[in-house]
Amino acid sequence: MPVSDIPFAHFGPYSYTPDRHYFPSTGQPQFAAPFSFLTHSIPQITLAFQQGRASSAYNMAALSPDEMERFQQLSNNFEPNVQGPLVTPKQSSHAIADEYANADPTYATKTSTLALTHPMSRIMKGDGNCGWRAVAFGYFENLFLLRDPLRVQRELIRLKSMNTLLDQVGQQEHLYEIFVDESEAVFNQILEAIQKGIQDDSFLVHAFNEEYNSNAIITHFRLLTSAWMRLNPGRYQAFLSLPLEQYCATRVETVKTEIDEVGLQALVDGVIEGSELAVEILYLDRSEGEVVTPHLLTPNRPSVGTIRLLYRPGHYDLLYRPEPIVTMAPVVNYQYGITSNYSPWDQGALSFDVDPHLMAIPNLMMDPAAFAVNPSPMSAPVSNSYRMSPPHDLYLQHTPPPVSIPSPPVVPRMSAPPPPMTSAPNRSSDGPQIRLNPLVMKNNLSHSLPVTTPFKNSPYNQAHFQNQDFEPIHWEPNESRK
Amino acid sequence: MDYSMEDTQNAAPDAHETSKLSSTAQRADTQSVTKRLQHELMELMLSPSPGISAFPNADGNLLSWTATITGPTETPYDGLSLKLSFTFPNNYPYAAPTVLFITPIYHPNVDFSGRICLDILRDKWSAVYNVQTVLLSLQSLLGEPNNASPLNAQAAELWDNDKEEFKRHVLARHRDIDEE
Repeated sequence: MPVSDIPFAHFGPYSYTPDRHYFPSTGQPQFAAPFSFLTHSIPQITLAFQQGRASSAYNMAALSPDEMERFQQLSNNFEPNVQGPLVTPKQSSHAIADEYANADPTYATKTSTLALTHPMSRIMKGDGNCGWRAVAFGYFENLFLLRDPLRVQRELIRLKSMNTLLDQVGQQEHLYEIFVDESEAVFNQILEAIQKGIQDDSFLVHAFNEEYNSNAIITHFRLLTSAWMRLNPGRYQAFLSLPLEQYCATRVETVKTEIDEVGLQALVDGVIEGSELAVEILYLDRSEGEVVTPHLLTPNRPSVGTIRLLYRPGHYDLLYRPEPIVTMAPVVNYQYGITSNYSPWDQGALSFDVDPHLMAIPNLMMDPAAFAVNPSPMSAPVSNSYRMSPPHDLYLQHTPPPVSIPSPPVVPRMSAPPPPMTSAPNRSSDGPQIRLNPLVMKNNLSHSLPVTTPFKNSPYNQAHFQNQDFEPIHWEPNESRK
Repeated sequence: MDYSMEDTQNAAPDAHETSKLSSTAQRADTQSVTKRLQHELMELMLSPSPGISAFPNADGNLLSWTATITGPTETPYDGLSLKLSFTFPNNYPYAAPTVLFITPIYHPNVDFSGRICLDILRDKWSAVYNVQTVLLSLQSLLGEPNNASPLNAQAAELWDNDKEEFKRHVLARHRDIDEE
């Protein structure tokens, strides 16, 4: 997505951020642009100091020029004493919520919600490279998680082929090759780990905590971003307060200048987007609302994975959504396993077909024309296939010990017509091809059963349609009847 | 303290192993720094820029160099030979080298100890800068001082108001440094 496509309102959350007043527009001229308060390099910390001094000038008047000089020196040389590893292992996001427990209520609310929606996080060291490091780490981590050696090879070739961009903008190979080599080493480590079947990502964390190597990878990504911007000035110049060449030289190619909005968009456009990974930022600020504000930096299209960044004014970390408990692929019968007041029925006591594939077809269940009980010929093979189907494993895990009095399973009420099926069986010509749970068809059943809200993994949950990866399940009647 | 240089011949095997483990990363970095500096030296020798030169000090330590800039024409430094020292940190190029004028110089952005105020040697340092780009930047700084943030306020004022007097100060302060 070109930067010019971003509605300007996207930068809106910051207008609500009181922090903004620390970066007065009367400050250094290069910070006067809309992005001014988004960057947070050392000079701005100095600026914040100066602002503090100006507002308490009556106190300062008591100080001698020598002391003033000393404070100025301290301010000029100020570097926050940041502790901890460059990249932490995955940890609970409750740690973030705890940090804000006594802060502004907006922060407290948003961070405690965040700990539920994104239970894990990875903290980046705030040394001026956190945004760059978060994206680079997230990129390699996603490649590792996909466990597709071909894709890793392809990405390695893609990134190395971008050396031509570096050449085009006049970077010298003898200077940049050490950075590219270090990225290549990480690709090779990932390949090796995938081939050895290693699940643990600690090798990657380790690689990013070797400061020298970590700097090389970040420099590689910085140089690629800078080259990309220089070769596509039309996309970015309008968002910069200084000439693009100068921006690249003083903000992107430097060793410790934190990434800002424009640089991040360029990094995503130029380096990450070609990998089919998506990049999403979740803004944690004092804007209205109870949840962090998400924003997708990549085009809204199917992606193979997502790098999720948590942005707090001045800092980037990585966030992780809950591990998927079930995949969307065989969406069958989850409503039985998931309903809270569920009690299993005795399969032997009920003579209807429990073929999970058939149970998953909503409009057939509701169609009386399709309903005919004819259990006997299929019962044995069906129960076999049922036992072997993957969702059954899940079903067992969630199954409490059978109770003596079976109660009927709950059929979630459909709030809208189900998705149209592409291959509806031809019922009129060769008769019903499907047998259904007879309970479904009892007239008064929907009144007598407790109706639960469809669980998020339920095929009836309409939220699936907002998932860019969503694909309706196509049922082929002939396949399951073989 | 860097134990990698320690004489391990007489040390117990265990001690040897320990020091080896702890210094592996450090040694790898040192190798990378050395490799990078060797590349830079090769480039400087293969494609020299007019008016600048640099070479590692004779002590065999690749982390300290001496460089020379010839003062550009049409500046008060025309024809003067100015020597500088480069000290490279062991995380070079991810931190700037420390660059000092050894030759006494009168310049708005250089103090009387030879310390230089130049943004690319501070927060604007980039890992693709190198000895050559630093020397070229310093060469242009001689002709175009940044008088907004002078280290030598008198020099800044004279540069703006009295070029003749400025040049007199430059020549009075200059003193050729002999080879070591």
